[in-house]
Amino acid sequence: MLLQLNNIFKWVQSGGQRIFLLKDINLEVKEGEFISIMGPSGSGKSTLLNVIGMLDTFDEGEYHFLEDSVHNLKEKHRSNLYKEYIGFVFQSYHLLDDLTVQENLEMPLIYKKFKGSERKAMVADMLDRFNIVGKKDLFPAQLSGGQQQLVGIARALISNPKLILADEPTGNLNSKQGEEIMDLFKQLNDEGVTIIQVTHSEKNAEYGSRIINLLDGRMI
Amino acid sequence: MLKNYIKIAWRNLIKNKVFTLANIIGLTSALAVALLLVMTALFELSYDQFHENKDSVYQVYLSNQTPRGLESGTSHPAPLAPALKTDVPGIKHAVRALSDDALVTYNDKEINLDAEYVDPEYFDLFTFPAIIGNAENPLSNKNSVAISEDGAQKVFGSIENVVGKSIALKLGKEEQLFTISAILENPPSNSSTDFDIVIPFKNHPEYASNIDRWDSQFHSVYVQLEEGVTPEQFEKNTQEFTTLHYQGSIENAKRDGAVANADGLYKQFHLLPIADRRFTSFASGAAEVKRTFPYMILGIAFVIIFIVCANFINMNIALSEKRLKEIGMRKTLGAVKRQLFFQFWMESLLVFTVSTILGLVLGNLLLDPFKSLFNTRATLEHVAQPNIIILFGLSIFCITLIAGGYPALLMSRLGTLHALKGKLDLGKNRLRNSLIVLQFAIAILLISGTLVLHGQIEFMRNKDLGYNKEQVISIPLNGKKDSYRVVELLREELKGNANVLNVSGADNNLGLGRDGSTMSSMMGFDYKGRGVVTNALTVDYDYAETLDLEVVAGRTFSREFAADSLSLVINETMAKQLGEEDPLSIRIPMDDGATTYSVIGVVKDFNFQDISKQVKPLTLFMNNGWDLYYAYVKIAPQNITSSFEAVEKAWGNIEPQAEFLGSFLDDNVDRTFRREKTMATIVTSGSILGILLSCIGLFAISMLVVAQRTKEIGVRKVIGASVSSVALLLTKDFLKLVGIAFVIATPMAWYFLNEWLQNYAFHVALSPLFFVGAGLLATLIAFITVGTRTVKAASANPVKSLRTE
Ligand SMILES: Nc1ncnc2c1ncn2[C@@H]1O[C@H](COP(=O)(O)OP(=O)(O)OP(=O)(O)O)[C@@H](O)[C@H]1O
Ligand SMILES: [Mg+2]
Repeated sequence: MLLQLNNIFKWVQSGGQRIFLLKDINLEVKEGEFISIMGPSGSGKSTLLNVIGMLDTFDEGEYHFLEDSVHNLKEKHRSNLYKEYIGFVFQSYHLLDDLTVQENLEMPLIYKKFKGSERKAMVADMLDRFNIVGKKDLFPAQLSGGQQQLVGIARALISNPKLILADEPTGNLNSKQGEEIMDLFKQLNDEGVTIIQVTHSEKNAEYGSRIINLLDGRMI
Repeated sequence: MLKNYIKIAWRNLIKNKVFTLANIIGLTSALAVALLLVMTALFELSYDQFHENKDSVYQVYLSNQTPRGLESGTSHPAPLAPALKTDVPGIKHAVRALSDDALVTYNDKEINLDAEYVDPEYFDLFTFPAIIGNAENPLSNKNSVAISEDGAQKVFGSIENVVGKSIALKLGKEEQLFTISAILENPPSNSSTDFDIVIPFKNHPEYASNIDRWDSQFHSVYVQLEEGVTPEQFEKNTQEFTTLHYQGSIENAKRDGAVANADGLYKQFHLLPIADRRFTSFASGAAEVKRTFPYMILGIAFVIIFIVCANFINMNIALSEKRLKEIGMRKTLGAVKRQLFFQFWMESLLVFTVSTILGLVLGNLLLDPFKSLFNTRATLEHVAQPNIIILFGLSIFCITLIAGGYPALLMSRLGTLHALKGKLDLGKNRLRNSLIVLQFAIAILLISGTLVLHGQIEFMRNKDLGYNKEQVISIPLNGKKDSYRVVELLREELKGNANVLNVSGADNNLGLGRDGSTMSSMMGFDYKGRGVVTNALTVDYDYAETLDLEVVAGRTFSREFAADSLSLVINETMAKQLGEEDPLSIRIPMDDGATTYSVIGVVKDFNFQDISKQVKPLTLFMNNGWDLYYAYVKIAPQNITSSFEAVEKAWGNIEPQAEFLGSFLDDNVDRTFRREKTMATIVTSGSILGILLSCIGLFAISMLVVAQRTKEIGVRKVIGASVSSVALLLTKDFLKLVGIAFVIATPMAWYFLNEWLQNYAFHVALSPLFFVGAGLLATLIAFITVGTRTVKAASANPVKSLRTE
C-alpha cells in the first residue's frame, strides 16, 4: 500500500466559524493505481491533492505514506519525503520561464543533489523518451501548450517518483493534445507509476482505474 | 485636462502607498540634508567674496629657493610695503596688516580685544564699512583707532556716543591713549579677518625697532594693482626689486647650495587673490589653493540627492511593470504617447513638489542643531540666491523628466498587444542594476572614508607626541604683569600643593589653546659658513621637566649655572642639521659675533607644531629679555579636577583682571584637528544617510522583485527547492551588485584617501582592512535589507504562491 488517509479534516476559521475544506476523508491508495478525482468547482479537489502531495497541511486525521506517519513528521522530513516520492503536474504547467527545456528538466535533480554527470544522463534520457530532443534549447514561451505540458510531466517524472499528482493536466489544452497527455499517463501507469489526477472530464476520468467524487469537501 | 492628470496621478500614488511613502520620506530627508550641506559649502566658498575690490587686491607672498627646497612665506619686513609702492610700477596701494591682541583699558576695565594693526589705506582695499564716524578714512592719524560694533559693546556696553572717546591701549610695555574715530560694521562671518579693533600699524610695538630692517619679518602685505595690471606683470616688475633688497639672503642661499627656480631666481614675489586666502596651503612650498572641503560637502550633498533620485527612478520603473495592463488598455482606448508621458511625469512632479516643501520645512527645523553640530556659521541666506533657486528648479525638472519619462518612454514604445500581455523586458533591468551598483559604490566610498577619517583622528589623538599632554595645563599669559614675574608667582602660589609637580613657561603654546592663537618663530644664522634655519622657542627653567621631554644628551637649563642665558638646548633634528658628532661641542656666534651661544643639551624630537607637519629643527633659548606668553603647569595624575581648580584659583590671585584661559594640552591637541573632526562628522552622517537611503531603495526593489517572482518561487519549491536555496537565489542577485560596487569603489576610495592622508606627515597606514571593512559592512547591510524580504518569500507556502495567478 502506498498511502492511507484516515478521517482527514481541513478547515479555515472565518468570523468565528469553521469553514470545512475537507471533511472526514478516508482514502487508501495502492501502488500502481490510477485514480481520478472529480467534483464541481470549489468542492476541494485541489485541496485534497495538495494534502496528499504534502504541500498543504490538514487539521485533523491521520496520513500514512509508505512507512511514515505524515501527521507526525516535521516540515523538513515531510519535504524530504515528497521530494523523493512525489512529482507534480499543473494545469498551467508552471515551467520556469527563464530556463530552457533542458534546464527546466535538470532543476529538480539539482535540488535533489544529483551529480552533474548523472543529471546529464537522466535529462537526455527523459528528452529522448518524450521525443523532445529537438526542443531542448527552447524556452517555455516558444512551445505550444501541449508541448509545455509534456515538459511539465517530464519534469515531474525525472527523478523517478512513485506517485504523480496532476491537477487538471489537460485543462488548458485542446482535446487532441489532451488525449495525447492521457495516453501518456496510461502508459506511465502501465509501467508502474501511481497516478492521481483531478479532472472535469468524464472521458479523461475513464483512463483511471477508480474515480473519487467530492462534494463540499466530502467524498461521496 | 490638467486636473484629470493630477487626479489620476493622485490615485496612483495612493494605490502604491508604501512606495509613495518611501519615496517621499527619502526625498524629504535627502533634500533637507542636501539643503544644509549646500548651505555650508556655499558659505565656505563665499569667504572673502564680499570685498568690493577682491579682483584687484592680493596678498603678497615670497617664494624662497632654499637648500631644503622651495619655501614660501607671507610674513614680510616693515620697509617692504612702502618700498613696493614707490619702486614698483603698477601698484595702487600697498598696505601692511598684522593680527594681534590688544589690551584695552577704559574706566578701570581691562579687556583683551582682537586687534588688526594696519596702514591707513587698508580700508581702500578691504570692505569694512563704518557705520558711525569717519567712514572715509577711519585711521586718519596715528592716534585714532576704529572699533567694531562688538568691540564697542565689549568696551563701552553700547555703540552710542563712542566716537571721540579716549581709550588706553597697552602696546608692548607701555600704555598709550587713542581716540575712537569710527565704529565699523562687524566683520561678516565669512571674513578671514576678524577683529574688534583696528589700530594704525605704526603703533605696533615691533614697528619702531624694525622700521628699516629687511631681515625681520612679522606681518602680511596686501597690494591693490592699478587697473589693467596683472599679477604676472607684478611678478616681473618685482624681480629686480627683490634682487636688490634681498641681496644678502640670496647670496647666502647660493652659498648654501640652493637651486634657482626656472627663471634663474632665488627669491620671487607672488600674489594670492585675497578670496583664495582661506583655501591656501604653503605646506609643499608653493602656494596651493584647494577648496577641497566645500567641494567635498557639495559632493556629498549631490551624492545623497543622486541616491534618492536613483531610488525614485528604480521604483517608478519597477512599479510601471505592474501597470502594463492599464497602459495597454489606455492605448487601445486611443491614448497617445504624449498623454502617457504627461501622466507619468505628473506623478513624479507631484511627489517631488510635496517632498521639496517638506524638505524645506525639515531643513529649517534642523538648522540650529546642524549649525552647532557642524560648527558652521552659515545661514540659509547663502542658499537663497536667485541663480541657485533656478538651478534647483531646473534639476528637479530634469530628474522628474527622467524618473517619470523613462518608464513612460519604455511603455509607450511597447506594442499595445505586448503591453496587454503584461510582459515587459526592461533590457534585463540594466538601468536598475547600474543605479543600484552606483548607489552602493557611493556607500562603500563613504563608509571607507568614514573609517579612514576616524582612524586618522584616533591616530592623531593617540600618537605619542614626545611630551606629556595628559598632565600639563597651558595658560595664556594675557594679563598686564611681566611674564616672568607671573610664572614665578605661580610657582610660589602652587608650591604648597602636593599635586602640582612643576611650573614653567615659554613664548609659544603647544596645540591650539583657548586663546585661539597660533604663531611660529623662526630664525636663521650662519654656522661654519652654512646658513641654518631653526624654529626658536624661549623657555623658562624646568621647561623640559614640566613637559617630560626626554633629554638625550647633556642637560637642560638650570638655576645652578649662572651663564645659561647664553646656552642652547636643541632637538635631535636641529642636531642633525648642525651635523656635529658631539652636539655638545657646538658653539654658535650670533649678532655678528657679538655673542656666542653654546649647546648644552639635546632633547628628543617632539611635535611642537601641528601633527600634520614633520618635526622641524628647534632651538630652545633662555633669555629673560624676551617675553614669555604661556605658562605650563604639570599636575599629578590624581585629583586632576581639584588641581585644575587650584591652578585657576592661583591665577585669579595673581592676575585678577585677566581671564583664565588655561587648558590641558591634550585638549589643545584635539583642537588642532577640529577641522578633521567636522569633516568626519559630515562624512559619517553623509554615509549613514546615504546607506539608509540606498537601503530604502533596495528594500523597495527587493519587495517588487520578490513579488514578480512569487510564482517562480512556488514552482521551485514544489520541484524540491529548500527555503535556504530559494532565499539564496533571490538574495544572490542583489549581493552580486554590491560585489560589483565594491570592485568599482575600492580603487577610487584608496586613491582619494591616500591623497588626503598625504597632507599629514604622520598618518595612519592605509590598511586594506579599511576597505574590506567597508565592503563587508555594505554587504551586511544589503543582506539584512534584502534578506528580510527574500527569506519571508522563500518560506511562504508554495500552494499560496501558485494560486496567485
Ligand atoms: N486558504 C483558504 N482559505 C479559505 N478558503 C479556501 C482556502 N483554500 C481553498 N479555499 C476554498 O476551498 C474550496 C475548495 O478549493 P479548491 O481549490 O480545492 O477547489 P477545486 O475543487 O479545486 O475547484 P476548481 O475545480 O475550481 O479547481 C473553495 O471554495 C476555496 O475557495
Ligand atoms: Mg482546483
